Amino acid sequence: MTPYNGLLFFYILGLLLLPAIVTGLLEKPLKHYGLLFTAILLGLVFSENGQLMALAVFYIWQIALCFLFLRIPNKTRLKLRLAIALSLVPLAAVKIGEILPVSHVFQLLGVSYMTFRSVQVLIDIHDGKLKELRLLDLSYFLLFFPSVASGPIDRYRRFSSDLNRKPSRAEYTEMLRRGIWKLMFGAFFCFVLSGLIWHSWLQPLPERGLLAAVSYMYGYTFYLFFNFAGYSSMAIGTAYILGISLPENFRMPFLSVDMKDFWSRWHISLSTWLRDYVYSRFVMDSLKKKRFRGKRTASYIGYILTMMTMGIWHGPTPAYLLYGAYHALLMCVNEALDLHWKPFRKIKQQGWSQVIMVVVTFHLFSFGLLIFSGRLF
Amino acid sequence: MEEKIMAILNNICGAEEGELEPDLDLFESGLLDSFGVVQLMVELEEQLGVVLDIATLTREEIATPALIAGRVQKEKSV
Repeated sequence: MTPYNGLLFFYILGLLLLPAIVTGLLEKPLKHYGLLFTAILLGLVFSENGQLMALAVFYIWQIALCFLFLRIPNKTRLKLRLAIALSLVPLAAVKIGEILPVSHVFQLLGVSYMTFRSVQVLIDIHDGKLKELRLLDLSYFLLFFPSVASGPIDRYRRFSSDLNRKPSRAEYTEMLRRGIWKLMFGAFFCFVLSGLIWHSWLQPLPERGLLAAVSYMYGYTFYLFFNFAGYSSMAIGTAYILGISLPENFRMPFLSVDMKDFWSRWHISLSTWLRDYVYSRFVMDSLKKKRFRGKRTASYIGYILTMMTMGIWHGPTPAYLLYGAYHALLMCVNEALDLHWKPFRKIKQQGWSQVIMVVVTFHLFSFGLLIFSGRLF
Repeated sequence: MEEKIMAILNNICGAEEGELEPDLDLFESGLLDSFGVVQLMVELEEQLGVVLDIATLTREEIATPALIAGRVQKEKSV
């Protein structure tokens, strides 16, 4: 049973959400039932795919890491890097396992997304923004079921404040309404639209040939959008019913006027996470230490670092690495144009030139997805 | 202190004195981008001793000079 897939899953999901709805409407806190809900669904999904032990090991590893790191008196940057490296071990093991020709590999559904959660907590502890940890809250955050397989990527302090809020009946009713809408909307995108594109457009395409590749590029772009945006919507909807407002992941990405705009509209929770925890930290550190002579060198290198991280996070395969490098290049070009080509801003903001920019950006992104899909390899 | 904030913003956005209106959306007008935000954080910390949390601040909260000044005041009074 994979999350958000198949009638059996949705049947169980619906059944398990009923007590949450009753709890919420009665204005009782949703924390404890929410944790039970997550535990049951994780138990079902991970025992069925044989990864329950792996999940348990992963959970204990990350929790122990977070609590131990909290206890260290002098949290130097080196210690943070070590902690993050340790936190990344399961993710690295899974991703490397995926490309090695070994039969027995360490697999764990959602390891990529759950790892973001623990790394983010470690960084917040180091920065002094998290001075205490509650086992229940942290466990719930690390294992939160709706977003475990594919996000959206949340932040601990934000999640924790939602957890411990007690919404009134009116507030919860609004969340319930939004949650149901998001679930239905997401299902329509994911199963109807993306399914149609897969069956009628992508599947019948020949595997080779230039025209087929071009058609695949467009088809895959729309397929991935409806699939991913739909999935995110269902995850967000489920979370709403549990009283948690996860961040949005998509905002009309095909209306982007340039690549920077694009990343504020596509997989938003990922790009903001990378912006806040990779780009901004690197740039801030560089500026404070006056690392580079050029005024904006830190920004360019920051974008390269961020996009390469994005690429390799997907996996250490040529397709993903090239995808990261491709976006690194696009961001640098975008930055250079913003800084050095005066008409660029007006072009993006007005009339026909804006339409052209939207079309250009769409194609730039689509080509990136063609790389991402692995079809070129 | 407001003057200092304006001076910092003018420097980062490449604006003349008085050019930045208090309610001008800096992101929308292309005067501030991700790099500019980091520069702003660094300058606020080094010149005014105010540390804002870049990871939790949304762009909406620091979109205009007035909002930025308000946030800094709030942080200083804590």
